Amino acid sequence: MATKEIEKQKKQYSAYADIYDDNGKIKVRLEMPGVSKDGLDVHVDNDTLIIHGNKKYPEIPGHYQLREIRNGDYHQEFTLDQTIDRNKIDAVLEKGILTITLETKESEKPKKIEVMNK
Amino acid sequence: MAIVKWNNRTPYDPWKDMRSLQESINDLFEIDRSPNSMGLFDRNVSPAADVVENENEFTVTCELPGIDQKDIDVSITSNVLTIKGEKKDSHEEKKGKFYKKETWSGSFQRTIALPVDVEKDNISAELKDGMLVITLPKKEESKPKQISVNIK
Repeated sequence: MATKEIEKQKKQYSAYADIYDDNGKIKVRLEMPGVSKDGLDVHVDNDTLIIHGNKKYPEIPGHYQLREIRNGDYHQEFTLDQTIDRNKIDAVLEKGILTITLETKESEKPKKIEVMNK
Repeated sequence: MAIVKWNNRTPYDPWKDMRSLQESINDLFEIDRSPNSMGLFDRNVSPAADVVENENEFTVTCELPGIDQKDIDVSITSNVLTIKGEKKDSHEEKKGKFYKKETWSGSFQRTIALPVDVEKDNISAELKDGMLVITLPKKEESKPKQISVNIK
């Protein structure tokens, strides 16, 4: 019974991701072709960044001669540590690419300590 | 017109079973994360595409995330559809540290041979949310026709 319910659900895949450092900001770049702004949900739940993209790719009536595109939603979860500022998370969706910018907290940034001569 | 041998449009592809098995195993372990892990064929550096045929037209869908319209070149010669383009690395200018890199960049080309003639003047292509959809209407003479046979 339970397995049948799982089979009914739309399949979920994780999108291809690039995570890199861009001048002190962490950028998460996810390839999500077929996801529009309405179908995208990005939220932070405690220490987890949850990204869900609803892929709008309806089945085309006819005979599939080639089928490589995976039809399913994109779902990904990332764990955020305490150095990430939860209030400065920014997400941009453009041409099927979602870019999330994460900033580190002011207090966590490296501090320069001046050495004084006595 | 001579009677020609019936041509099965989807001949049995023994690799297909292998591929689907590999995909299922990869899904199970969630290891299909790197673009290099696609396996047997070098599909990894070319965008995924679907080709659907129905009575009136062909629909070709191609996943092209992050690619500008001007960087895509769609052309058709005789019955061969070619999708060419270049996927630019969006952060090539920034020399930041990578924590994870799963995407690919570079030029790509997909060539799709269509089994019947299409109307070359009525082909439409649309790019939306990183998905390219090309509609190729079939020529009137290549559409399936109903021919009634009188039985005496």
